[in-house]
Amino acid sequence: MLRESMQIKGRQVDVRGVTAGFDETVDIPNAAALVEFAEAVVMRDETRTAAARGALLAVLGEAGLVDAAAVIAAFHGFVRIADAIGIPYETAARGSDAPEIRERAGVNEFPRVRGEP
Amino acid sequence: MPTQSFAGSPFPVRPDLTEAHERAWAAIAAPGTWLTGAQRVAVSAEIRYARDCAHCARIKAALSPNTVEGAHDTLGTLGAAQAELVHRVVTDPGRLTEKWSASMLAKGVSEGEYVEIVGLVAMVMIMDTCHRALGLALRDLPAHAAGEPSRYRPPGARKKAAWLPLVEPEDAVESDGPLYPNPKAGYIYRGLSLVPQAVRDYTALANCHYLPGEYVYQFGTSIRAIERPQVEILAARVSAMHQCAY
Repeated sequence: MLRESMQIKGRQVDVRGVTAGFDETVDIPNAAALVEFAEAVVMRDETRTAAARGALLAVLGEAGLVDAAAVIAAFHGFVRIADAIGIPYETAARGSDAPEIRERAGVNEFPRVRGEP
Repeated sequence: MPTQSFAGSPFPVRPDLTEAHERAWAAIAAPGTWLTGAQRVAVSAEIRYARDCAHCARIKAALSPNTVEGAHDTLGTLGAAQAELVHRVVTDPGRLTEKWSASMLAKGVSEGEYVEIVGLVAMVMIMDTCHRALGLALRDLPAHAAGEPSRYRPPGARKKAAWLPLVEPEDAVESDGPLYPNPKAGYIYRGLSLVPQAVRDYTALANCHYLPGEYVYQFGTSIRAIERPQVEILAARVSAMHQCAY
């Protein structure tokens, strides 16, 4: 979905950043601040989250901050349905997440794909 | 704890988001398909309690979740298997397996209860995470409503593509009620379809956080205050940190 949303705007993204972390060259406005906020929330680090929230507020404004929080929260639900029900991951994004994309993104190292634990 | 969603927020919150949270809490408090309102609120309380479970922390830190012995710290209101289901889905979803899922059923959680509980986990995680992200106190859990579960099982549900039975779009019948935005709805929509009301409750909430179904594949359109690539970089990073392959 990230790749598709970039391509339609004529941009490219290295999907390795999904697992390895994105560097400053990613062509998305305020990407570093967005990713820092997402990571802080997932890690449940209140101090880090507060700092990231403040940084994001400064660049996105209140509505942007609220929508960023809302999206991060949404994917705390999506992942739990996908992983607890065992829906076929090969069908994500209507099947556009081709094997080579999953490999490059590092998704093939996830336990569900590797058949662990 | 406040009794309203987003109470005390220093930031204006979209009215549709606040309304979606309040509707979701009301749905959680009401009798479900396989659980009573009281049981659903008890599951919600356990979801919050699981986040600080020491046993879950040991499982999360272990190379294999199967090597950790011990018991969950629980509120004691759910059965052992229901509590295990809640705790593992909350704290270590990326390492769940079909074998583990089957073990929950073997221990007495019915397929319907399993799916309904997963739907509750997803909804409470969404709402509580949104509050935490914005630095807000969690909303108080609602008082449960009286009544009996509907015990409706869709006649077209089949175990085929996932670990639990699903209703494929072509197998949906009128008595299921509205299920999917279109016949090509992805498996993330179908995941809870053994409990159609869970699909409706969850989708109504998730759509206000992410995107309604009709916008998901309109990559050039943004209906949020951030651009679509900004939405998707958040989605991708959060999913990856949970080790979710979907």
